[in-house]
Amino acid sequence: MRQQAEAATLGIWVFLATEVLFFSGMLLAYTVLRHAYPEGFAEAGRETKIVIGSVNTAVLLTSSATMAWAVHAAKAGHRKLLTILLIATAALGLVFVGLKGLEYSQEYAEHLVPGLNFSSDSPHAHAIELFYFLYFALTGIHALHLSIGIVIVGIMAWRASHGAFGPTYHTPVEVTGLYWHFVDLVWIFLYPLIYLNGRSGG
Amino acid sequence: MMPKPPRSLVWSWIGLVLLLALTLGMAFVPLGRANIAVALAVAAAKAIIVLLVFMELARGHSLKLIFAGAGLFWLIIMFGLSFTDYATRTGFPPAH
Repeated sequence: MRQQAEAATLGIWVFLATEVLFFSGMLLAYTVLRHAYPEGFAEAGRETKIVIGSVNTAVLLTSSATMAWAVHAAKAGHRKLLTILLIATAALGLVFVGLKGLEYSQEYAEHLVPGLNFSSDSPHAHAIELFYFLYFALTGIHALHLSIGIVIVGIMAWRASHGAFGPTYHTPVEVTGLYWHFVDLVWIFLYPLIYLNGRSGG
Repeated sequence: MMPKPPRSLVWSWIGLVLLLALTLGMAFVPLGRANIAVALAVAAAKAIIVLLVFMELARGHSLKLIFAGAGLFWLIIMFGLSFTDYATRTGFPPAH
């Protein structure tokens, strides 16, 4: 059992290492373009919804804390607490996705969606369009990861409520937690690159 | 009775929220090129808290560190080699 648990944890770490590279391709594109078009990227960054972005960061950081607490509860054999914490984690994830949807709808209304309705009269319109293309790609794929996480955490909550986990068996909760924290880590780096970019100038 | 959360998690959460407030505030202080450096340093500090406390990276099998390090290693190679090109090119972006 111990060896199985170790193998599963190592497996998710290998998966997460490949996920780092999946996201970093887009982050490299962001870095190169920001280096090439500093004014355009700063202007685009100032138009992002910093209130929603910051609230969502706090929501996701909190969800990681409840997830980590859930793993402790699973190890300690607190079945009811584990179920509540997993539901809380998934609910915070849903709040994040809901706010993200609100943000997207505002950006659609402001004609900031490349390929659908992008238009800008700024002299840096081309660079702003590139920024928003990367913004939707990065945050969209992040939201997809988070949505998958919400479903998995929901399944874990259902299993926990039926007494599937205890002090001797809780690897699925632990592995789900590692995935959840990874999605949080991606957001920790997206937040300054998207929302804080260009705030001090212009 | 509701059991209390482990203290390390409470402190980590407080630390993460304070770092979020710090990075948000610092973003509006004009520091020129140092703004992005400060923002990424705060992000790295948050990431270390998540990795060490929430993901328990340093505990258990040390092979975990190698696997996680491999992700970072290839990331550094990709950015490093790409920027030996982009950072030294004089004609980028190309003139329209």
